Amino acid sequence: MAAVAVHQFAQCITCHAWSPDHSMVAFCPNNNEVHIYKLVNDKWEKVHVLQKHDQIVSGIDWSGKSNRIVSVSHDRNSYVWNREGPEWVPTLVILRLNRAALCVRWSPKENKFAVGSGAKTVCVCYYEQENNWWVSKVIRKKHDSSVTSVAWHPNNILLATTSTDGKCRVFSTFIKGVDTRESKTGSSSDPKFGEQIVQLDLSSSWAFGVKWSPSGNTLAYVGHNSMIYFVDDIGPSPLAQNVAFRNLPLRDVLFVSEKMVIGVGFDCNPMVFAADKSGLWSFIRFLGERKESLSGPKSGSQFSEAFGKLYAQAKHGLSNDTVEPSKIQGAVHDNCINCIALLNKKGSQTKRFSTSVFLFR
Amino acid sequence: MMAAAEKFVEADNAEAIITRIEHKSRKIESLLKQNKPVEALKTALEGSSHMIRDERCKSANWIVVHRALMAIKDVEGMFSSLDPEYYDILMKYLYRGLSTGDRPTCDQCLRIHEKLTERAGLGCILRSLADTVNAI
Repeated sequence: MAAVAVHQFAQCITCHAWSPDHSMVAFCPNNNEVHIYKLVNDKWEKVHVLQKHDQIVSGIDWSGKSNRIVSVSHDRNSYVWNREGPEWVPTLVILRLNRAALCVRWSPKENKFAVGSGAKTVCVCYYEQENNWWVSKVIRKKHDSSVTSVAWHPNNILLATTSTDGKCRVFSTFIKGVDTRESKTGSSSDPKFGEQIVQLDLSSSWAFGVKWSPSGNTLAYVGHNSMIYFVDDIGPSPLAQNVAFRNLPLRDVLFVSEKMVIGVGFDCNPMVFAADKSGLWSFIRFLGERKESLSGPKSGSQFSEAFGKLYAQAKHGLSNDTVEPSKIQGAVHDNCINCIALLNKKGSQTKRFSTSVFLFR
Repeated sequence: MMAAAEKFVEADNAEAIITRIEHKSRKIESLLKQNKPVEALKTALEGSSHMIRDERCKSANWIVVHRALMAIKDVEGMFSSLDPEYYDILMKYLYRGLSTGDRPTCDQCLRIHEKLTERAGLGCILRSLADTVNAI
């Protein structure tokens, strides 16, 4: 895999989402707006600016079939944007939050969306036809800290969440009238809305970036302790694999296939993880090229200078002024990557915290 | 009532753990006499990651690990025979050593820290910082 295209949209991007036909991308340039750019003749042009939020937009998702954008912000609000002619018309969704909204995802059927918040809650919103508005149902008292990321199982009912309390949880978001009962044994065995199916306590530090594999059989999420967790058999006795790696922590992951995951984070270089035939996950390689500096410690940029001074103390006070700060050559991103999104079945896209949007195939 | 009962059980456990640490200490002295500093370090590090809440146990274990750490003369050589499974727990003890402020201890820990970071990467440092549950 290699970077296919590079574009600098803004100094810093907090979140992004692609349009259904991948011709447009919506992102927040670290302010209270959502910018939509369209690819016209190989050039990106700003076509819309959605201004409704009062604070940073922390999450954007663009539904693939119904072509709706949902945005959530630190201002505790969320808007669903519908395309009416040339304009995007916002509909306020009252989440009833008293803290910032942190992340949002449309469900696979696009009839619900989930919002993770700093209020230790998850809001699951659905559209009520009679009143022509979006209703929010809140999952309360199940998280001990901010909910950093949410992910829908392909069955449109199970929702996985990660939190800064270090745990990953799976809930049922079954809503009468919105979801159809799929169990054959009868209505009594279906889990109720907000019922916790499983709680995974694998990380002793903040958890981020949860995603389901395409089939929904495997769950992957990352911890702030430079570990990535792969879990099978979600249920009473899940099978977890803890994979430790030598680099800086990840922030988000993406399943490229059942057996391959790409992780992005503070190392500014996407990492590829894969499962072998026996189902054992391990780190394979980086996506971007990575030429280390020839001399000095293997860490790059500001680290080598700091480490040089640190270790110099052990060498009986010999000052190490000659250590040049080495930059990681060939890395596509300059700063932390905080989000990765699937572009289409063949490609995936990562975003840099500081400047550009990169496409990988 | 439950809390008191738990404390009682923990104290019992603490005595058992301290006895184990004393056993470890004797084994380490013997290994050092046989000029096997890396084996001594492995012995010291083993069993350290279990949740020991009791401060006395943590201190007792630290004394034993410290003894083994200070006996290492060939740091590069040590890494060629130290299994990667020990890296994370070693990093935690290096930071404990660095926090003592004692010059010889800090010098030794810094020397080992440099090589360990080369081998285990920044992720190892992250894990030692992030793990607030299994604090040593």
